[in-house]
Amino acid sequence: METYVQMGLGLTAIAMGLQGIFQSGWEKRRHGHRHHRLGHKHDGAVFSIDYYAYASRLRGWNPGFKALFSMVCLVLCIACDNAYVSLGTILLMGYITVIMGGLSFRRYISLMTIPIVFLFFGSVAIAVGVAPFPVGQYHVHMGFFYLYCSDESILATLRLIARAFGAVSAMYMLTLSTPASEVILVLRRIHVPRLIVELMNMIYRYIFLMMDTQCRMKNAAESRLGYCDFRTSCISFGQVAGNLLVVSLKKGNAYYQALEARCYDGELRFLEEEKAVTAGQAAVAVVGVAALLAVWGLTV
Amino acid sequence: MAMMGGGMNGEKKEIILQARDLHYAYSEEKMALDGVSLDIREGEKIAVMGSNGAGKSTFFLNINGVLKSESGEIAYRGEKMTKKTLNHLRKNVGIVFQDADNQIIASTVRAEVSFGPMNLKLPRTEVAGRVDEALAYMNLQGFENRPPHYLSGGEKKRVSIADILAMHPEIIIFDEPTAALDPVNADMLEEVLGKMAEDGKTILISTHDVDFAYRWAERIVVFCGGRIIADGEPLEVFRDSEVLKRANLKRPMLLDIYEILRGQGLVKEGMACPRNVDEFAALFAGKL
Repeated sequence: METYVQMGLGLTAIAMGLQGIFQSGWEKRRHGHRHHRLGHKHDGAVFSIDYYAYASRLRGWNPGFKALFSMVCLVLCIACDNAYVSLGTILLMGYITVIMGGLSFRRYISLMTIPIVFLFFGSVAIAVGVAPFPVGQYHVHMGFFYLYCSDESILATLRLIARAFGAVSAMYMLTLSTPASEVILVLRRIHVPRLIVELMNMIYRYIFLMMDTQCRMKNAAESRLGYCDFRTSCISFGQVAGNLLVVSLKKGNAYYQALEARCYDGELRFLEEEKAVTAGQAAVAVVGVAALLAVWGLTV
Repeated sequence: MAMMGGGMNGEKKEIILQARDLHYAYSEEKMALDGVSLDIREGEKIAVMGSNGAGKSTFFLNINGVLKSESGEIAYRGEKMTKKTLNHLRKNVGIVFQDADNQIIASTVRAEVSFGPMNLKLPRTEVAGRVDEALAYMNLQGFENRPPHYLSGGEKKRVSIADILAMHPEIIIFDEPTAALDPVNADMLEEVLGKMAEDGKTILISTHDVDFAYRWAERIVVFCGGRIIADGEPLEVFRDSEVLKRANLKRPMLLDIYEILRGQGLVKEGMACPRNVDEFAALFAGKL
């Protein structure tokens, strides 16, 4: 069982390490996460999404209900493959998240821009073709080959982007209104294996502790000129990462003792709050889904 | 050394927990516990003191059943504890760990406080009742759905205490509870301790704060090098300069001041030594 706790910590450490590699500007997060920064910054994503979910007015809704609703909308948006349904999903989910949930519109838009890079590179490949001869409605000569596209391929790409954004907005509706612990609870209810659910639980709890520890270590290194140039930064980064792993393995033992002291016997059991689905919430979902279906029926 | 056995006044209450000659080692070279014996009686307020690494935390984990001593025995209400009855110890002896972050496991306050009672396999309604009660006791209503990373240090400490209260243990151990608290939160903690004492709970606190131990405790147990080197009433222990020296302790400031005043003849012989500022003020009521 001890290895189990340490496994959770180890995984978190790896995740943290990866995050550290891809992201810089850690220290800003510490000061920024609660003070609603504007604009689009990837580094605060973990903290801010968690906080928005916590602060959402939809937090009191039954998490299983929200998950089902968002999944139905997501599947509808993808299955219908219809630009109007996609736009409808984006508007509906945006309305629920921003107007009903109380998230600021600017923050919502800034979160929506996160997948833009992926979408852009993914869709360029679809919109633009490569050929040795000048074909298609529009083409560019690139020396010994041509890049070409057509109205049709551009429209198809736009439809695809709308569909992807519809799906993203449906997922956002869930994640921006439901704290991770409740999402994990839903997974437990639908019988996702216990090992995975409990690891998720622990990773969610410990990732914040590790962020804290990592931040303190980095500040301590920085205060001794550990990040003065590129070479030193690399060395310091490695040392902080290595230290973080050692510290987490050590702490794993302390956590395990604390668990055992409260009669832990290998299974994490918590009291789960039941949140009833109210008629009003059900009505929102039914009207929303019906509207999407109606849009689909009218435009097919 | 001469004070083993404790100096309880009046009638002696029933012994809840009895540790006899406990030995425990983390590694081959050094014994963390080297023959520790201690009786804990109902409703006692015990301060456990001693330098870092003297064996206090190891002792706590032993009497809670997390660590198993190599030799020696622990009896709970007269019944000797074996491997099978370890959960009995864990249920009845609760530890509030020094660092609340090491203790908090769940991702909401309610789930966190429910963890212990859920492990006791109580019915859901009973668990819910205990959680509400513990949260009310620690003044944490309204925090139920809050994730631990959005709590302040003092709030986390309160949650970690509610954790233990919800298990309804007979003995509550606090491992250096004031170490990371600001003065206001430390006051809050003392208030809670007072409330618990009124409710008849048995409390053990490990602390380096001699002034706190002096004003709060009824009995002081001093650890040094894995052994108990003193066990008695606060005044008795703090007047033993040899014990203080060995355990890296200092005398409480009030005791020093009292003795200076007495040396100057400002306090009459036979007047009780004050344990807190209010008692100290009472010494001079109407005089100055």
